[in-house]
Amino acid sequence: MDINGKYTFNAQPEQVWGVMLNPENLRDALPGCDRLAEQAPGQYEAVMKIGIAAVKGTYKGKVEIADAEEPVHYTLRGEGSGAPGFMKGSAVIELQKSDTGTDVVYKGTMEVGGLVAGVGQRMISGVVKMMLKQFFQNMSKKMPQQTN
Amino acid sequence: MKSKMEAWVGKKMERREDARFLTGRGKFLDDMRLPGMKHAAILRSPHAHAKISSIDFSAALELSGVIDVVTGEDIKAMSNPFPCGVNVPTEYYSCAVDRVRYVGEPVAVAVAENRYIAEDALDQIIVEYDVLEPVMDIEKAVSPDAPVLHDNIGSNIYAHRDFQYGDFEDAVRQSDITVEGRYYFNKFGSTPLETYVVIGSYNPFTEEFEVYSNYQGPFVNHSLVCIALGVPENKMRWIIPTDIGGGFGNKTGLYPYAALMSLVAKKTGMTVKWNEDRREHLLASATGTDRVTYIKAYLSKEGKILGLKDKVMDSPGGYIRPPEPGCSFRSTGNHTGCYQIENLDRDVSVVATNKGLTAPNRGYGCGHLYFSLESIVDKAARKLGMDPAEIRMKNFIQPDQFPYMTATGGIYDSGDYPKTLQLGLDMIKYDEMRAFQEEARKQGRLVGIGLATVIDPSVTNIAYVTLAKRPEDRKEKPKSGSGESMLVKIDPLGTVHVIACTNPQGQGHETVICQIVADELGVIPGDVTVHNVVDTHQRVFTITTGSYSSRFASVGTTALVKALRKLKKKILVLAADMIGASEDELEFAENKVRVKADPKRAVALRHVAGRAHWDHGGLPDGVEPALYASVVYSMPTSKAPDEDDKVNSSNTYGFTGEAIVVEIDRNTGEIKFHKWASFHDAGTILNPPIVEGQVMGSIAHAIGSTLYEELAYNENGQCLTASFQDYLVPTAMEIPRVEIGHVESPSPFTALGSKGCGEASTESTPAAIANAITDALSPLGIEITELPISPSKLWHMIQEAENSN
Repeated sequence: MDINGKYTFNAQPEQVWGVMLNPENLRDALPGCDRLAEQAPGQYEAVMKIGIAAVKGTYKGKVEIADAEEPVHYTLRGEGSGAPGFMKGSAVIELQKSDTGTDVVYKGTMEVGGLVAGVGQRMISGVVKMMLKQFFQNMSKKMPQQTN
Repeated sequence: MKSKMEAWVGKKMERREDARFLTGRGKFLDDMRLPGMKHAAILRSPHAHAKISSIDFSAALELSGVIDVVTGEDIKAMSNPFPCGVNVPTEYYSCAVDRVRYVGEPVAVAVAENRYIAEDALDQIIVEYDVLEPVMDIEKAVSPDAPVLHDNIGSNIYAHRDFQYGDFEDAVRQSDITVEGRYYFNKFGSTPLETYVVIGSYNPFTEEFEVYSNYQGPFVNHSLVCIALGVPENKMRWIIPTDIGGGFGNKTGLYPYAALMSLVAKKTGMTVKWNEDRREHLLASATGTDRVTYIKAYLSKEGKILGLKDKVMDSPGGYIRPPEPGCSFRSTGNHTGCYQIENLDRDVSVVATNKGLTAPNRGYGCGHLYFSLESIVDKAARKLGMDPAEIRMKNFIQPDQFPYMTATGGIYDSGDYPKTLQLGLDMIKYDEMRAFQEEARKQGRLVGIGLATVIDPSVTNIAYVTLAKRPEDRKEKPKSGSGESMLVKIDPLGTVHVIACTNPQGQGHETVICQIVADELGVIPGDVTVHNVVDTHQRVFTITTGSYSSRFASVGTTALVKALRKLKKKILVLAADMIGASEDELEFAENKVRVKADPKRAVALRHVAGRAHWDHGGLPDGVEPALYASVVYSMPTSKAPDEDDKVNSSNTYGFTGEAIVVEIDRNTGEIKFHKWASFHDAGTILNPPIVEGQVMGSIAHAIGSTLYEELAYNENGQCLTASFQDYLVPTAMEIPRVEIGHVESPSPFTALGSKGCGEASTESTPAAIANAITDALSPLGIEITELPISPSKLWHMIQEAENSN
């Protein structure tokens, strides 16, 4: 499935970059993220608890930040598997300066397999949208207060 | 000779089985408890195509209550691949070894104190996969750059045959017009209410396996499992309970799990029970194949079909296993349906794709066959400006032509196709409906009438599976037959007992058996007890034993009648002696054997039994004690295929059709049924309510497969319909009112003239619905060539057609 969208932060691109790529912020902001531990620069071991329909479970895997060009764009890749199945996705994230602050534009794809794909298909895009919304809302709380 | 009025056969009699089913006294396998029984759960592949790099189950073994975990490596060490009747080398084990080839394939089995703990154990098993590209589309799978599933085969073609019958070139030359099309039939299953259950155990001292399962036959697979596991057949005991909650062919695919749980029991030293859940059933039990057909018909300008050319591609999924490639050859004898078509050119491929595995599924390939055949007949009618009923009447085999030998070797026993179609047309008031259609069209409404007339083959002749091999490759070990065994006995106090192994899954065998015994022996059905359990140690069974291809009503009942008549011969010897009359003066009635002309001269049946049982020494010379007879009977029309690939793939052939009036809502694509007549000729009707149940059940299954159900996979091989949320089995609300009509053309090949009827309408309905919708949408030039059909698909087609005008 395709995952495309935009979220606007009331902050400058450099500030947004700093907040969004901070591993502790990532762990706090990602809904259901229990663990995000750096293995190598830009590579993290991740444990996430995600529920889709009645299929709730733990996914263990990795998250990778690649092709980073501060503060313009980067690629975020993740994959995890567990009892409920596996998830794999990647997105290109671009930070664009705007009048109100920074537009974070993301464009990516996600693949889901196993139990969760077989019984939760119609729920998946809804849950992903909800998780993205929560993620960005959590991140915006971490953004520095702007002075007008 | 009983009059039709007095006879039990043909009477509207309630089913004996229902009392126990409705009061919770049925004995289904899940209710069974064996001492020390443990429970298994199966870890299944989340990938459609991948290499298994490693399996680490150490964490699973740490859980309290977990006994062991068995993987494909263990299974490979303990068994050989299942043999399969194709030329290519096949490697199908009951658990994945090194590689997975469909989502849901078993990868490991956890055994624990209960199912909950076993499933918790699965969560702790870590499998590393090396994901490979899957191929999901049948036509893509045969292209040269497709990912290959089996390296040792080298391509995705499990089997390929081409056939020519009659003089096809001549038919082409003689024809005035041709019509052609590509048709796609979807992958679906029959979702029996009860899923697979297996309880396996192994005795290391006697080296004997004992397996309880709700398998439905054929028992050729018992032998195949013994071969795969390297055990002598008398060291593998299979016991099938009387009560099974539905099979519809899907439970023929159970035997690999019987093998798996046998090996798990052996490795763990435990009695192990496995009960499949619904998701497992949809992914990894057995469903029908999907099929791509290219078909071309050659006709005279008068509408006579002179020849047919077809190219068929089926997919049994990630592996091929018996009875496949039966799906592609089962309908050989009835390939030309109810028409006189003598000239054929056929190309049949059996293809690997990364989908769940297949097995017989109600109709077993005939729904697929008739979807393309009946659609092309309608298309020809449209091209010639003929009415679809007219073109069928013109091409039907006529009533005076039976027994009729088809171009492909089928021997059609009986029927009156024109009469039966006419019955259907009269039931829906065909001419009135055409007038209604014309009026409706003037108002811009999309009303259509669809017909389909098909031949329902019952009682498989197991020979047909060998058609996957060329004549020169199958000569050495011929296979054929339709054998069924029956034993009838009368106990010392004179009560009647039938011991059958017809392996019913809810069809009502017990009831019909009692009716037949009552007629033959002059007792009432209530006097008869039936014991219907297949036990490979305790029963005389053969490779065809089982209930599939609707064989009970034809070969099952014939074997029973033969056993009863054999028993009656012995009873007459004793009774004649006891009454002092000659055998040909006697009849069986009212629990007595008596002189027809002088009924007062009689002896009670129980006294004849007493004579046979209580005074062995006083019996006439040559007469054995006790009173029983047993028969194993195969229909004589079941022979091996000949050198020209002609085979009588079945033994009785019924005629079925549907006449359906539909209306499509232009704005929503919704399909509404105005009228539906289902017309049947399955020979002698043994029990009318049972037949009605079968007709409605097969219609319900077909409505499901045509309009709602599909095992859908995305391009990554993920199954999107692995629960009833998405795999839409119709409810009572989705089934319209259907009027059912019957003609009875008794079969000359069965003792009572009856034929199977349980699959008939599943075979005719998809074509009839498609033809009705095509007829409704013909003002827009739309033709239905793919199943399933949904309102949203129709809506898009309508939009596209309207926009291009």
